[in-house]
Amino acid sequence: MTVTTENAPKVKASQGYFGRAMKRVEDPRLIKGIATYVDDLKIPGVLHAEFVRSPHANAKIKSIKTDTAKKLQGVVGIFTGADVNDKVGTIPCASPIPGGKSPEHTVLAGARVYFVGHPVAVVVAETRTIARDALDLIEVDYEPLPAVIDPEKALEKDSPLTHPELGTNVAFTWSLPGGDVDGAFKEADSVLKLRIIHPRLTPMAIEPRGCAASWHAGESSLTLWTSTQIPHLVRTLLPGLIRIPENKLRVVAPEVGGGFGSKLNLYAEEAVVSHLAMRLDRPVKWIEGRRENAAATTHGRDQIADNEIAIQKDGTVLAIRSKIIADVGSYWQLLTPAIPTLTGLMLCGCYKLKAVRVDLTGVHTNKMSTDAYRGAGRPEAAYMIERVMDLVASELGLDPVEVRLKNMPESTEFPFTTATGLLYDSGNYQDALEKAQELAEWPKLIKERDAARKAGRLFGIGLSTYVEICALGPSKTMAAGGWEWGCVRIEISGKVTVITGATPHGQGQETSFAQIAADWLGVPIEDIVVLRGDTATAHFGRDTYGSRATALGGSAIVMSIEKIVEKAKTLAAALLKSTPKEIEFKNGKFFVNGDGKNALGWGQLASEAYIAKNLPPGFEPGLEASSFFEPPNCTFPFGTHIVAVDVDRETGQVSILKYIAVDDCGKQVNPLLIEGQVQGGIAQSVGAALMENTVYDENGQLLTGEFMDYAIPRAKDIPDFILGSTETPSPSNPLGVKGVGEAGTIGATPAIANAVVDALSPLGIRHLDLPFTPERVWRAIQEKGGRS
Amino acid sequence: MKLAATYVFRALPEKVFAALIDPAILQKCIEGCEKMEKTGEDTYDANIKIGVAGIKGSYVGKVRIEEKKPPESITLQAEGKGGPGWVKGTARIQISPEGEGSELECESEGQVGGLIAQVGSRLVEAVGKKMQDEFFRKLGKYLEG
Amino acid sequence: MIPAAFDYFRPSTLDEALGLLVKHGEDAKVLAGGHSLIPAMKLRLSQPKVVVDIGRIGDLRSIGERDGKIAIGALTTHFEIESSDLLLRSCPLLPEVAGQIGDVQVRNKGTIGGSCVHADPAGDWPAAMLALDAEFEITGPRGSRTVAANDFFVDMLTSAVESGEILKSIRVPVTPKTVAYVKIAQKASGFALAGVAAVVDKAQKSVAVAVTGVAAKAYRAAGAESSLRGLDLSAATIATAAQKAANGIDPLSDIHASAEFRAHLARVQTKRALELAASRG
Repeated sequence: MTVTTENAPKVKASQGYFGRAMKRVEDPRLIKGIATYVDDLKIPGVLHAEFVRSPHANAKIKSIKTDTAKKLQGVVGIFTGADVNDKVGTIPCASPIPGGKSPEHTVLAGARVYFVGHPVAVVVAETRTIARDALDLIEVDYEPLPAVIDPEKALEKDSPLTHPELGTNVAFTWSLPGGDVDGAFKEADSVLKLRIIHPRLTPMAIEPRGCAASWHAGESSLTLWTSTQIPHLVRTLLPGLIRIPENKLRVVAPEVGGGFGSKLNLYAEEAVVSHLAMRLDRPVKWIEGRRENAAATTHGRDQIADNEIAIQKDGTVLAIRSKIIADVGSYWQLLTPAIPTLTGLMLCGCYKLKAVRVDLTGVHTNKMSTDAYRGAGRPEAAYMIERVMDLVASELGLDPVEVRLKNMPESTEFPFTTATGLLYDSGNYQDALEKAQELAEWPKLIKERDAARKAGRLFGIGLSTYVEICALGPSKTMAAGGWEWGCVRIEISGKVTVITGATPHGQGQETSFAQIAADWLGVPIEDIVVLRGDTATAHFGRDTYGSRATALGGSAIVMSIEKIVEKAKTLAAALLKSTPKEIEFKNGKFFVNGDGKNALGWGQLASEAYIAKNLPPGFEPGLEASSFFEPPNCTFPFGTHIVAVDVDRETGQVSILKYIAVDDCGKQVNPLLIEGQVQGGIAQSVGAALMENTVYDENGQLLTGEFMDYAIPRAKDIPDFILGSTETPSPSNPLGVKGVGEAGTIGATPAIANAVVDALSPLGIRHLDLPFTPERVWRAIQEKGGRS
Repeated sequence: MKLAATYVFRALPEKVFAALIDPAILQKCIEGCEKMEKTGEDTYDANIKIGVAGIKGSYVGKVRIEEKKPPESITLQAEGKGGPGWVKGTARIQISPEGEGSELECESEGQVGGLIAQVGSRLVEAVGKKMQDEFFRKLGKYLEG
Repeated sequence: MIPAAFDYFRPSTLDEALGLLVKHGEDAKVLAGGHSLIPAMKLRLSQPKVVVDIGRIGDLRSIGERDGKIAIGALTTHFEIESSDLLLRSCPLLPEVAGQIGDVQVRNKGTIGGSCVHADPAGDWPAAMLALDAEFEITGPRGSRTVAANDFFVDMLTSAVESGEILKSIRVPVTPKTVAYVKIAQKASGFALAGVAAVVDKAQKSVAVAVTGVAAKAYRAAGAESSLRGLDLSAATIATAAQKAANGIDPLSDIHASAEFRAHLARVQTKRALELAASRG
């Protein structure tokens, strides 16, 4: 679908806010420390909750002794699974897979615990300190059982079972038969094999989770403030658990200190805190500590893939067969099974493969659940296909750039259907690649590598040409609606209130949506306020994840503005004694064609519309409109990242010498926000490539439970970037915008990986798994007899 | 965590073996042991403070003799839990005559869980080794009078 | 995240502090910069009933020359050491080490004394202290005593400072410019996977090499040192000596580096530290 005159915005943007790099209106309050996060809320009479959590990965609970703890002055109550599980529903999964075996997920542990950090009991006390002290007085007697940790071993016949009642450790299987794979393999000149592992990662948002619930007994309604990305989805799912009607629940996301997918969920703690507020008829607050966050907030990635690649000797990649094992942990959180299916869907990357076959097995282990984490399934896919491309090049002795160009579609071939059945909306992969090579001074870089290698240095250049799927998506394909909602209200004074159903938590839409509204309405940006995050204010919404807010939320706002402008034209016509067809709208003013001197502004029109003394017959008072934008397709941003690295032969340390990224997210509302998103995504990719790894030992003990052991990049670890962009508008929404929040996380890891493998290739190393810690790199060098 | 070490004592295997099953001597030799009480033929209740410097935790648990072949071998199993988490260990000990004394080989395996595993994993092996060495050093001192 | 309850005292003199330690015995812990004690307390790994905050005792914060050596008060922060002109001139190893500790915030609060008494097996200071043969002045109810660096670092997380005592100051010699500290950090904590301090005395044809992060406590690489006694330093002689840098020690092993890799890093970093130190004069 291309943008035509029928579906293009009828209102022209003016004032030049759209496309302008502007500082964010959110930032002053964040920087000055006057923003309100959950822990800042001052709720009179609030009680504090702390959770007792399992120190075992797999165990029967023999007894829980709470008598001593209950006697501690200030303790109001202590509740276990026995007290709560029959009164609160189980945690739902919004994306179950047919045929999958989902274990029943009670909000507190019942007879058994299934992962280290599993909540077993909750203390509610007058102060947080008392609640914490009470934890030390509670004695839980466990009977430890063998833990299921290695997902491949979990599939063996004699493995202990994570959930014995399911009879298997297979959580689900899912297959994507994309085209005639067997036929393609028959045509192949050769078949390559590549086993590739993407480690488990811990999102580590700077603000851990937290929530506070307040029961309003007089109205039988509940308010839940929670550090979440999805207040609307929580409002839809939570009522069933705590047994109140949907329209008696208000969910508010206050300032949220980062989510990255780890707050795209309905958590047991949120349900328990809500229930306790109702049960005790007092507000209850819970603030998560970092150790809890590392253990009991969703993890990301964790896939093992065995790939067979059918190729022709000229570098054409015909087909891939991929067997993927996804270690999903012990329970199904909101989107747990869906995430690795996105890997399958995106496995062809930006290439015209004839066929792709993916066989995915989800495995239950005694670990925390995996779920969305920045990129959610797409980083794994990009990593795989981009490593495959480099492998094909090295096996055939071809240039990795040439191999990619050979397999890419031309920009004229869009919209383009992939072997996995996706319709890529628009793209010009060659352009982004060319621009990136230009910024990287590619020929000079190659010469630099040659010279470095002659001098005995391990110098590598890597690139990734990635595409990703975001701004999900058409409601037919989504679990529960993929639209977004937006409301625009001209106030009596002429000021503007924009309400979005998206829930930005750092993405900057309070600024970018104001830019859009300012341009489309022709009002000063200072006159616009953007509200979000409160289900009482934004009464519909599908929240923020998967890089959707601007493409979908922004479009809903434009739709609403168009409705208002239409209505305003009718009113202006009446006031100017003309007809709506004769009314022109330009730069925020309404006037009769050609008669610019007698123009009406929003202030005047709003005043008339609400005071309503001079309304034409049939004209409904007010100037406000709300809309649901239903996207016809997802969007497919893309780009090229190029990285140059140096590997210290003796210590295995990897230094990033040069980093170039050219990303195409369609039309850009605010280049400053886009740069920020790309930088942040690259930073998290540097982490995934060089240092991050969520490690459980063979007993299921989480060894990376704090920042002492889980390494995330610091400022000094992030390379200087050279950033560029191309703009290939998306035909999937009136703004022409694609998402950008996750692109950096998707494009960067493969580029870094390819660079490191390239650096090691003179030693005969063809692949190395993440993360590239010094020891891992050093061992690979040792194995090949490389001197140290 | 797996450790293996050999110790030499100026005492005969019988005396070494006897010391290893005497709760009073065990309590003396285990650093931080506040209680070691025999509760059955082959079981003991124990309270031990384990840690290094200011970072110590109190653990309450049980010690059990899994296998014994006096005076040649004995396998001890211990487990305990406390604020910082839980600990579990097994020590397989072989005692053989060596000159006028004995040579003792100890192969042990330890596991920890909870807080100490999450934040102290780098210390676990070193602390375990230190505890084992310290235990046998004190045992040696006792055996030599 | 919340420490167990404790009583807090903030004495303004050393005598007052010692008095409190005598009074409360094993129940008390000394608080200096707080960047080792407070995290342990927040995790409840450490639960002192009494915290004696010596941070305001001005006497303990100083850098000065005394009898041909340099005396550094125990409460001197890493940052103060990093930016001390006197040390940059007379004992440049110390500023070089200080600048590699943690990050700016940690360096502004952490103290050399607190760090040494904490005796983390991967802390940076112990390597420098051993390489310099530093002397530690400890004061307590039984008066003052001086302990040599070799005897100060007793074991993992255990220093020679006993209950009731406070480290007062550290004395280091004036050194030539031919010194160096090289460290490969554990990416998460910033502590050393292997940190090597080298002090080269070209005139005397001797070197001191100390390694941290590799074993349960920092150690002098005696084998490497004796290989170079009486020899001129060259790439060849340094390389040979460095091969001995992990002799006779039991390397630590954890998820960040195996024992084998730590031993290897000890050798590599020893070579690099010696080369760097030698190149400076």
